[in-house]
Amino acid sequence: MKPLKHQPSHRRTPVSSAAPDFTYLSPHGLDSGIRRNDEILLAFEDVAFRYPDGNTGLDGCSLSIVRGSRNALIGANGAGKTTLFQHANGLLRPQKGGIRYAGRAIDYSRAGLRHLRSEVGLVFQNPDQQLFSASVREDVSFGPLNLGLDTETVRQRVTAALQAVGMEKFADRPVHNLSFGQKKRVCIAGVLAMQPQLLILDEPMAGLDHAMRAELLAVLDELHARGITLLLATHDIDFAYRWADRIHLMSSGRCTSAFAAAELPDNAETLSAAGLPVPGVVELHRLLVTRQILPAISSPRSLAELIAQLNNTQKDFQ
Amino acid sequence: MLIEQCAYGNRWRKVAPAAKGLFCLGGFIAAFAASQPAAAAAVAGLVVLITVLGAGVPFPRFVRVALPPLGFLLLGCLSLAYSLDFQGASNDFTVLWLPSGWAPIRQLAARSGAALAALLFLALTTPMIDLIALLRRLKMPEVLLEIMVLCYRMLFVFSEALHDTRTAQAARLGYATPRLALRSLGSLTANLTLQIWQRAHSLHIAAQSRNNDGAFRFLEPEYAHVRRDLTIAALGGALLIGLAVGMP
Repeated sequence: MKPLKHQPSHRRTPVSSAAPDFTYLSPHGLDSGIRRNDEILLAFEDVAFRYPDGNTGLDGCSLSIVRGSRNALIGANGAGKTTLFQHANGLLRPQKGGIRYAGRAIDYSRAGLRHLRSEVGLVFQNPDQQLFSASVREDVSFGPLNLGLDTETVRQRVTAALQAVGMEKFADRPVHNLSFGQKKRVCIAGVLAMQPQLLILDEPMAGLDHAMRAELLAVLDELHARGITLLLATHDIDFAYRWADRIHLMSSGRCTSAFAAAELPDNAETLSAAGLPVPGVVELHRLLVTRQILPAISSPRSLAELIAQLNNTQKDFQ
Repeated sequence: MLIEQCAYGNRWRKVAPAAKGLFCLGGFIAAFAASQPAAAAAVAGLVVLITVLGAGVPFPRFVRVALPPLGFLLLGCLSLAYSLDFQGASNDFTVLWLPSGWAPIRQLAARSGAALAALLFLALTTPMIDLIALLRRLKMPEVLLEIMVLCYRMLFVFSEALHDTRTAQAARLGYATPRLALRSLGSLTANLTLQIWQRAHSLHIAAQSRNNDGAFRFLEPEYAHVRRDLTIAALGGALLIGLAVGMP
């Protein structure tokens, strides 16, 4: 694993103030992972699962995750997001339908699961559910040691994973002395140390304050820049629109729809059917376009982008 | 928590746990080898001095940690100080004061005090995680170590859950009267039992998702100057034993 350095991702580059016209390079535009490479990494094909107590987990869910992309999964509580994640990691096995990873149907043998779980890392919502070793370093070493790697390799991986989430200073701390956000980062390091291709995070932003969210987001951006495919569950449509390449909606165990995040403004009805609001920035942008303050091109994905557009417009007027 | 704070905050945190364990063992042997109570007391005093001055454990904190075990020691001494003497058929009994004099009490107190000091030296300078790693290196059975690791981690998870639930109950007057307190305590116990079951299940799933197949494996910490530390600890331990045996 290469140690990561904090480098701002090129797609977050703000618009140059010298821009001659309304041209605005969408950070998720032509250079986004989806357009570059369309290989499907994980595919759910009509997957159904019912829990032993009769509750429906998944009900004919189909979903595709493209390699190298950022995916947001949105659904109400109880929609089946966690069940879907546990299927992706091989913890649950579909009762109907099938799951393909990197083009191949999942092999549920011991060796097959070992391979799958080293490729698909799962970060649980509650860090106390995932962390069970006493010290940070020990806990992060748990996964790679389970892969049967030698001590030296594990040591290197643990150090690199802790560096990647900015927790190397806490390596010898006991887990219970960490803050909630730090525990979350240790959870991510514990999975990263297994060097997964696909990192799944179950509501990673839940319970984090603004600063912690920003830190976690920086970590996720770095991982994405390194080519790791990301899939995370969230309730925050504004965040999903700002961050993701692709948005997947879930409801009652069904994967109801999926679209490129850039196309979200065209999917207002789908969102409304799922009981979700249109992101505030989309509404505001629409209004500004209607009032002819902004041109009807390239919807901004965040308030910061909208403000940049407005600033550019102003400069043009001047 | 007090022990935790000392174990992480002392000056010898980075000293190899094996060395600290060896010195503690030296203290134990010295405590039992001491020919005279005075020798054992000297060993105890020396170990306390080393813990306070050497490792930098604040003395008041040391005393607070030592108080509960010293209480037990006092009880033990009291039971030696008295003796019940049954007198055959009449079923009468008399309480004898100091049946064998002060000597066994002095011996017990001094030896136990020295052993306690040695044990506290280890506990207050070495975090639990280092101790578990040390025990692992000493080939303690894996299953016991796994239970230790889980218990240690869960101790904090549950103390938090306990605290949260209790606070929530207290906020709704759950402990306003003794009757209500008993009721709240009951529901707290029931709730925690359920939580334990759920947590155990979640942990199992989380372990599986990280490819666990049964045995828990963790990386052991590394220490910079193990040989040097071990040599110093061995010398220190030998000094203690020498003091205990040699003192008239």
